[in-house]
Formats: sequence, structure tokens, C-alpha cells
Amino acid sequence: MLMPPFELHQPKSVSEACTIAKELMLAGDEFDWIAGGTDLIPNYKWHINSKPHVISLAGIDGLSEISMTEIGCMARLHDIAESEDVHPIVSDAASKVASSLIRRNATLGGNLCLDTRCFWFNQTEEWRSSIDWCHKCDCGTGADCRVIPNQNELCVATYQGDIAPTLMVLDASVHLIGPDGTRVMPLVEFYKLDGMTRNVLQPGEFMLKITLPDDVADWTGSYRKLRVRDSWDFPEAGAAAAWKKGDRTTLRVATTALESIPRRHDTEVSESNGDVKAICDAVFKSTKPVNNTSLPPRYRRNMIKVLIKRACEE
Amino acid sequence: MSKDYVQQAGMNKDVRVDGKRVAGKLRFNPPGSGGSRPEMAERDLEFIPELEGGNEPQPAGAHSHDSFRTGTTVGKRTPLVDANAKVTGQAWYGDDIRLPNEIIGRIVRSPYHYAKVKSIDTTKAEELPGVIAVSTGVDAPSKFGVLPVTKDEHAMAVEKVRHVGDLVACVAATDEETARQAAALIEVEYEVLDAIHDPKKGLLDVDEPIHWRGPYHIGSTNVQKRVFQEFGDRESLEDTTKAFHNGKWKFMGVNHGFTEPHAVVAHWDSNGRLQLYTPQQVPHYAHRALATVLEVPMHQINVIRTFVGGGFGGKSDPFPHEMCAAILARKAGRPVRITFDREEVFWVNRGRHPSHIEVKINANDDAKISGFEIDALIDGGGFASFGHVTSYYNGVLATAPYELGSFHYTGARVWTNKPASGAMRGHGAVNTRCAIEVGLDDIAEKLQVDPIDLRLANLLPPHSKTITGFRITSNGMRQALERVREGSNWDEKFRKLPIGKGIGIGCGFFISGSGLPIHWDPHNFPHATVHLQIDMDGGVTVHTGAADIGQGSSTAVAQVVAEVLALPLEMVHVRSHESDTSPVDLGSYSSRVTFMNANAAIGAALEIREKLLNAAGEMLELPPEKLVLNDRRIYFKKDPTIGVSYLDALHKSQEDIGALIASGAYRTPPMGGVHKGAAAGLAPAYSFSAYVAEVEVDVDTGLIKCTDVWAAHDCGKALNPLAVEGQIIGSCHMGLGQVLSEQMVYGRTGHLQNPNFLEYKIPSVHEMPNVTPIIIESCDPEGPFGAKEAGEGPLLPILPAVVNAVYDAIGVRVNDLPLTPDKVWAAISKKMKREKIDDARDLPVPRLDFSELQKKLIKRSAEHKIRDSRRQRREDEGPYLNGVLFGLDPTLPPEEQDETWKISVKPDSSQLDNLGLAGTAWTKKEQRHMEGGK
Repeated sequence: MLMPPFELHQPKSVSEACTIAKELMLAGDEFDWIAGGTDLIPNYKWHINSKPHVISLAGIDGLSEISMTEIGCMARLHDIAESEDVHPIVSDAASKVASSLIRRNATLGGNLCLDTRCFWFNQTEEWRSSIDWCHKCDCGTGADCRVIPNQNELCVATYQGDIAPTLMVLDASVHLIGPDGTRVMPLVEFYKLDGMTRNVLQPGEFMLKITLPDDVADWTGSYRKLRVRDSWDFPEAGAAAAWKKGDRTTLRVATTALESIPRRHDTEVSESNGDVKAICDAVFKSTKPVNNTSLPPRYRRNMIKVLIKRACEE
Repeated sequence: MSKDYVQQAGMNKDVRVDGKRVAGKLRFNPPGSGGSRPEMAERDLEFIPELEGGNEPQPAGAHSHDSFRTGTTVGKRTPLVDANAKVTGQAWYGDDIRLPNEIIGRIVRSPYHYAKVKSIDTTKAEELPGVIAVSTGVDAPSKFGVLPVTKDEHAMAVEKVRHVGDLVACVAATDEETARQAAALIEVEYEVLDAIHDPKKGLLDVDEPIHWRGPYHIGSTNVQKRVFQEFGDRESLEDTTKAFHNGKWKFMGVNHGFTEPHAVVAHWDSNGRLQLYTPQQVPHYAHRALATVLEVPMHQINVIRTFVGGGFGGKSDPFPHEMCAAILARKAGRPVRITFDREEVFWVNRGRHPSHIEVKINANDDAKISGFEIDALIDGGGFASFGHVTSYYNGVLATAPYELGSFHYTGARVWTNKPASGAMRGHGAVNTRCAIEVGLDDIAEKLQVDPIDLRLANLLPPHSKTITGFRITSNGMRQALERVREGSNWDEKFRKLPIGKGIGIGCGFFISGSGLPIHWDPHNFPHATVHLQIDMDGGVTVHTGAADIGQGSSTAVAQVVAEVLALPLEMVHVRSHESDTSPVDLGSYSSRVTFMNANAAIGAALEIREKLLNAAGEMLELPPEKLVLNDRRIYFKKDPTIGVSYLDALHKSQEDIGALIASGAYRTPPMGGVHKGAAAGLAPAYSFSAYVAEVEVDVDTGLIKCTDVWAAHDCGKALNPLAVEGQIIGSCHMGLGQVLSEQMVYGRTGHLQNPNFLEYKIPSVHEMPNVTPIIIESCDPEGPFGAKEAGEGPLLPILPAVVNAVYDAIGVRVNDLPLTPDKVWAAISKKMKREKIDDARDLPVPRLDFSELQKKLIKRSAEHKIRDSRRQRREDEGPYLNGVLFGLDPTLPPEEQDETWKISVKPDSSQLDNLGLAGTAWTKKEQRHMEGGK
């Protein structure tokens, strides 16, 4: 497998990275950010939406901070999983991502910005040509979505990151930086329901770090992941729950791998008055996974009830 | 390289503590001693059979090779002879070959399931700078295929493409990037045809069958092969049946998932001969097919088998890409290398057939198995491959280890527009075996007896014949069942575990080598030939064509030679890579290599042994029969001080002739019945196995975790217990993949959705249970030192053992492999709904309340145990035919004593309306019998 050729930029500072991005944008050149590369490189090898320029964040110091209230975008998942400073729900989720080899390289930023996945899309160029391409990578053909045909507007590829739901239930904020400066927002507002754009990142903007509330250490909960193999596999469904120790009224629940974004289910939780079974049923009703991962959507949708129930266990 | 880098542990010592050799530090003392040890070792009595005066127990009796045992290596845990090359990265696999001036080949593949190729325009590709050669189907119109009866493949599409990924053209360019660009520039005009994906539709007449076989074509269907077999007494079934099982199964196709993708290098040398480097399991068939397709005599081709990074059956066909590389290299005048992406491996496939199998089992009042009825519809994909044989194996390999009152099999293999299915570890036997072993579990439950006792009371004895006439020799089935029962603590667990935990049993039966060579019937060529050569240095060179695909065949051959000649293993060098220097061998398939090659090697080594003994006898003035060989010395039996060194004896026997050479060959004894298809499944020996698996099922999610496996396999004699255990554990892993997670998923459009190792889910280390390998040694009379196969048979029992354990855990049977959590959950949910249960933990799980029959079975199996032990040790040499259990006289053919005993290989017209799914293939006529035809 050969990657298409690209020019690699290796800035040494955040400001240099922003400058390079700005210059490329002015010149009309497309580019991707690369952190650990465990998501981007396989896609490039399959010639999926590859760009002529790639800007690496690996050479920038100070992006790998790990503490209870702050995690840098370049923090490796292995380090997050092993760290005793990180909130246990987050480190547990990190330890469940892919395999130990991949976790050594993969980063928090990369996991949160993970490209959405779909078995019509995550295939080699030859394979995709045999289905006459798909909406998410149409190679200029204007191809239709293969999951839900006859509607070539929406991409329903699935977000399959493990860590986002755990950060959501801990109420994390995400810090973004770009040519127009920095901005901070709650992680729950970072994602945008569309399999193509996925999140609010503007051209030239990248994720700097996430921060967590000061009282995060007082919160407890867990993350549950559904997968066939205990290594390598992306979640087929995932649920995180957290509450302030001793106060179940603060319960928050978030899910992943069911649609194009991870989602925190505040409405479902508040309408259920903290009754876990009612929350499970409400989330079951409000989520509609599609057939684009390895297990059938009906099963994944039903499993979310089991996962939430287990995540909420004391 | 970092300063702490150590190339080999223990570099500063001459001899490593672990016994491995240190490169360049092998100590060889002056002639006369030989080997790395300066002094002769004591005879290792622990590895000399007790009947020969040693301490090795022989519960299964003596063997004709016993007197050649020297206690050198047979039976000892021996690291493979090529292990150093592999673990140090020095083994050269297909893609490691780098020849000067090489260029890179790339294949253009079909984007359509089924289409006519109208035209191919290669002009633009040829004009691209860097492109050296382009080829299409017109360059190689000759057909080939692994079986001579079904040659249906071309190097590249000649008229039609038959699946997405089928080969259309190929290009060679100075680098991979250019080759890819050129491939994209080749313009192909297709006329798309109606594709078939569902094998059931393959049974129907269509306008454009995927292949056309002229007068032998079955109707105008896509049926490639159909089989009908009926044996025994089926007429009384209706009256005598006490318990009946009917299981309808669906098995998804699986791929071998070997580590090394296919890679080939072709080079026409300075003399115009083709040198083809390829990781092949069966280099000889590739050799033949290359000669046909390239229109070059075989002696102008040298097939060089590289190290093989796993085969499992997936590298045993001659492949079109091997032809493509040779064609491109011939056109370009430069070596051409083609290496596959993983996706291309899935396009070649040859994995296990997706199958629809129906099994019916009848048991009578005495819990005897009066009826076996199997119907197997197997999905062959676009080409025949080994399918002709697979079609038989799906039925006939179910005729043992149990004694049957009757056997009925209908099978059909159909072409569909998918990558071709073929041979894969446990070829043809795995799916049916799973269905019948689960069926027996169900029968045991219906009779309320223990399923192990049901099996123990219905086994064929050693030295018997199956219902279809297979000759069983050694048979360790009973010991295997007894050992796993004991090891797993079965009697304390079965039907006694709480919900979510379960234990299950499964057995296996497999051929140890195929009885008839595919290619040279009726010529009487041997199946395997081994040449030995010993020059004055004392080292033994073994020339064999046996393809070591990681299973350790080179080690096995080296071991038996070392054993007979009493030489350290490092003095034996196996040369098996080149067809120029290796005698022809049929290759590594059907678990034949150890059995046949080691036998041939023993034959050759005995020839040398005789020469050495004669020379030593002459020197010592003693008759050769009074001499023994032990560790590089030959000496008087009664006084080891009277002797000569191996080298002295060797030099004496080399006088006037120089290097000693010897040749050994193996061919199977004549055997088998005369009915059509009687040869399919015939083998000189058979392996037997029994596994117990323990599982935990998450009743809320349907996820299954196999925690423990007790795996007993009868391999006759473990020449190398380390390798046998490796095969058992590896088989467990591979079989576990098929039963739990591996599947080739063809989606709604017929495209293979998961041609990669993320979505094709091979179990990881976390899914691997704790496997306790148990080796059963039944001492096969014709096997080398008693050995039989251990490479494929051990895979069979893990599937039914897990499926039965899941039933024990949750009381639900799922007849659809793999048992992915969604299917298990759906089955649990359905049962909960039916029984109006809210919490899955309240589901009833099966319990066993022994019926009267249980005592009967225990009594019968105790009697049979004595019978089997006597037969195994040849204290009873009387004939035993399947049917004795049902009252037949073992000395007469059953059909002569029972009028209702049938032997039929074609349905008569009255049966045509009453056949299973695959059986309906028999309702069609062959073209030659049709009026007007197509």
C-alpha cells in the first residue's frame, strides 16, 4: 500500500503551526493536521480524502500536559491510560482504545477529532471504485450515500471514539486555536451532527487541550464499551456515566458509536428523574444507529440500554 | 544501532544455555567425533521403546520402526530447525526476494461482480513513462486449475470476469507508484451481467451460468459438482428411531488470515529458464500450471518456494498472479515482483466455503446411531479450486469415528460471483463436523444420557472399516474422550453450571494424507520421495520437495533422519526450496507431509544405515546385526568400547564411490471401495480428537468468552511434542475465530464488506482460552515411528465444543456461525419473549436426569473398551466392518448379508422428490442427457 505523496510541515511552536496553516489557506492549498497519525495514515494509505499538505503537531512542546483538570491534545493515550493523575473514567476509556501498540502513538486530540467511520467508506480506492464511490469520499462524482441511498445530502458515518463520552459526562471544555485566535467551549458543543464536518473546527483551527472542572475529582462513574474483541476493535456502542460522589441527582450520561457524533443525554436524564431504566429507554428511543459498522444497528441500539445500565452501577 | 544492542543472547559463550546454536560458534571437533559435543552421549533410554529395552511406554503396542529408534530426537520437544531464521528476521519470504533490475507488477481487477469483457485498451498505460510491460488475457489463453478435472481459471480474464477483484490485466513498471498509475490508465469496456450471490440461486437454471462445461453441464444451472451417497439400512429407520435430531445450519465463509500476503517474483534467467519465487504450499502444482499457461516444458521452469508466512490451504492453488508475474517478466526481460495488499488476499480467497448444511440423526432404542443424513450446499465462488473434493469431504468425512446404521449424503457446490472458496485447514470436514457433533449433543439430551458416554458407546474400533469403506487403522478416539472428560472435571460440571456458564464436548476425525495423488493416477509414481546425500564431512543433506509452511515439516524430516542415523540434529540439513534440486512432492495439503515424507525419509535413511553398519561390521569384524548406532558412533551391542566412529564407518563405506546417496519413497497401500467417489476421503491413516470447552456467556449482551479448552488429539506418535502442542493450540485459535467472530461479510450489494484485518475479526490474545493440549499416541502401524497428522484435525472439535458449551450455558442453540453477540442476544431475547421472562438470568438452563439408557451405555462402552484395546494391540486381528454393532457378520460385506443394505451413488427416480436443498441439484439433467440441450 502506497500513500499518495504529500508535503509534511513540522512546526516547532503553536504560532508557527498557525502561520503555516494560514499561508497554506491563502495559497488555496488543502491540508490535514496530524497528531499520532493512527487514524489519518491508514486513511491516506487507502487514498481516502488525502491532502497535498500535512502539518504535524508532534514537534511542538507543551501539548502533552496530563493532569486531573487538563489534558493536552498531544497526550498519548497510553500515557493517559497509565497516568494516576487522570480521572479514572477517562484513563479507563483510553485503555480500551484499539491496541497497546496504537495507544503508544494515538493522542487525545486525534481521538476526539477522529474521522467518522463506515464500511462503505473505510475501504481501499479500488474497493470504493467498485461501489462507484460514496458521498463522504465521492472523488468528484457526486456519489450518493450507500447507507441510506437516494438522499445524497447527509453523511451518516459513525463516530467511534471512546474518550469523548467520558469527557462529556465530566463536563470537559475544549480549547481550540486557529489563525483567528483561541476559543473555548464545552465539549458537548464541539461536535456537529454531520458525518462529513463532524465538529466545529474551522479551516486552520486545531484542538489545543481539554480542561475539566476543578471539582472533577469528586465525580465518579464508568465507561462501558461494546466490542467483539478486547483489542483493536472500535466501539460498536459505548456509554459513559458520571455523578458527584454521593449525589445521584447530578447523574450525566453520554454515548458514542451510535451516530455521527458522541452525545450527552441531558434531556433524557432530566426527564427520567434519575431512574436508570427510564434513562435507558429514553436514550434507546432517541438514538437510531445505522448499518455501517460490523454489528447490526438493531443490536447496537438495544445494547445501549445494557451499557448505560452498567455504566450507572455504583 | 544502540550501544546496548545484543544480536544474540549469550554471544560471549560458545554454547548457549538454552541449547540453541550460536552463529559461527558451533564447535566441531576433528573428524571422528562430529557434532557439537566432543563426547558420545549416553543412549537416552527414556526415548527408546520398552519393547526394545528402553523406558518409553508403549500402551498401544509395538511398531515396525521401533528397532530403528536410537533415542536421538523422536519424541523430544525440539525447536523447529528454521526457528532461528524466523526469529532473527533472516527467513526470506515472498516479498523479501530482491533481484537486480527488478520491476514492480500490479494487477488490474474487475470492479464488477459479473461482466463480459468487451475490450481492453492499454495504449495510455503503455505510453506512461516508466511502464515496461502490459499484459492481458490474450497473452495466456490456456486454462488451469489445481484439480485436473476442473481447470477453469485463466491468468487474466479471457472472456468474462466472475467476481469483484477478478484479474483483468496487469502492468509492470519501474516502481510501484508508476505501476499503480498505469493500472488506472487501462481502459476496460464491460457488459455487466446478472450476478448471483446467494448459493441457493446457484441451483436454478439461468441464462448465463458462470462457467460452461458443455455436455457435462448440469442443466443450465451454476452447479459445479453434485454428490449423492447412500449406504446402509435406511428402510427400518422409521420403525426403530427413538430420538431424532434435525439441525439446519448456516456457516459464513472464512479466510485463512495468514500473516504473509501473497507475493511472487518471476525472472527469466540468462539461459531463458523461468525462476519463480513464490510462497507456495504446493510448488509442484504451480510448476505444472505454469508450464501449461506459459507453454514452456516443466524442465525449463524452476519453482523456488520461499519461506511461507502461513498457508492453511490458502497458498495451495496455482495462482493467476504467479502466471501474471511470469508473463510480465518474459515481456519485460526483467525480474517482476508482485506483492498483494491484504484486500487482494481476500480477492484470491480460497477460504472455507460459506455453507448451508442440514443434518438429521436417528438414534434407536439402544442409543445406537442408526441414521446420519447430511445435505450440504456449499458456495464455491467464481472458480472450482479444490471444490470437487470439498463437495465429497462435506459428507464422507462424517462417517467416523462413530459406527452408523446408515449414511445418506447429498452435496452440491455452486458457482457464485464471489472470490473462489477452496481448501482451508480441516478442508471440507469442519462445518459438517460441527453440525453432527451438535446433533449428537441434542440426541444425548433427548435420550437423557451423557453425551460423552453416548459417543464412547458408539465408536468404531481400531483396525476397522467405516460405512463407506475407509480403512481405519490406529484409533485413539476413546482415550481422547476419556482424557478430556477427566481433565475438564466434566462429570462435576456438565449440566450443573449456573446460567451463563457452560461446558461442551466435540470430537473430530480427519485424514492423514490423501490416499490418491490428484495428478498421477494411473501412473504409479510415489506420493513422496526423499533423497539423502552424505559426503566425507559427515553432514547429511536431505532433499525433499515437502513445503515447510511453518508447520515444521523440515524439522520432522530432519528428526527422523537424525533418529535413524543417531546423529545430532545440526548434522542434518534439509534442502527443500527448489524444484531443480528437490524430488517431486505433492506439497503441503491434506495433512500428508509428516506421514508421507517422514516415511520416505526413513526409507532413505535406512539405506544409509545399512551401508554404515556393513562398513563398521567389516572394520570391527562383527556381524552388522550385533551393532548399535548411538550419537556418532557404531559399536558392539554388548560392549560399547568395541566400536568405530560414525565418520570412520562413513569413510569406509565411501571407498570407491565417494558421497553416499540414498533415495526413499512412499506410496499408499491399495485400499478403498469401488463406488464412484470412493477415493474421496481415503487416507492411509486418520487422526481423532476430542475437545471440551468451557464458556461464559454474558446473557445481557450475548458476548461469549471461551475460558478453557481441554484438547486431546490422537496424532499416533508425537515426533515432536512441542510442534504437536503448537498445532493444537493454533488450531484452537483458528477454529475459535470461525465459531465466534470471523466471517466474510457480503453485504446487500454482494460486495465483500470486510476485506481487512480490522473488520475481519481474528480473535486477539484476549479471546484466547487457556488451552490444555493432551497428546494421545495410538501408534499408527504405517506412520513414521507411529505418527499421524496433527495439523488440521485438531481444528475440528473446537467449533462444536464451543457451540455445545453455549447451549449448556444458556439453553439456546444458535445454528448460524459465527456466534456473534447479536445472534446470541437475538436468540436469548426470542426465548425470553416466548417464555415470558423479563430477566435473562431467570432463563431455564438444561439439566440432565439420567434415563435407563445411561447404564446401558456405560456397560457397552466398558465392553468396547476391552474390544478396542485388544484390537489396537493386534491381539484381535479379526476383520471389523461398520455394521457389527447392528448385528452384521464382520467377515462378509454387509450388502451380502442384508438385503436392505444399500450402496448407491445416484438417486433413483423415486428419491428425486425427497431430497434436501443441495440434493435438488440431482433433479437437473446433464446437457448430454437433455434433448436439444442448451
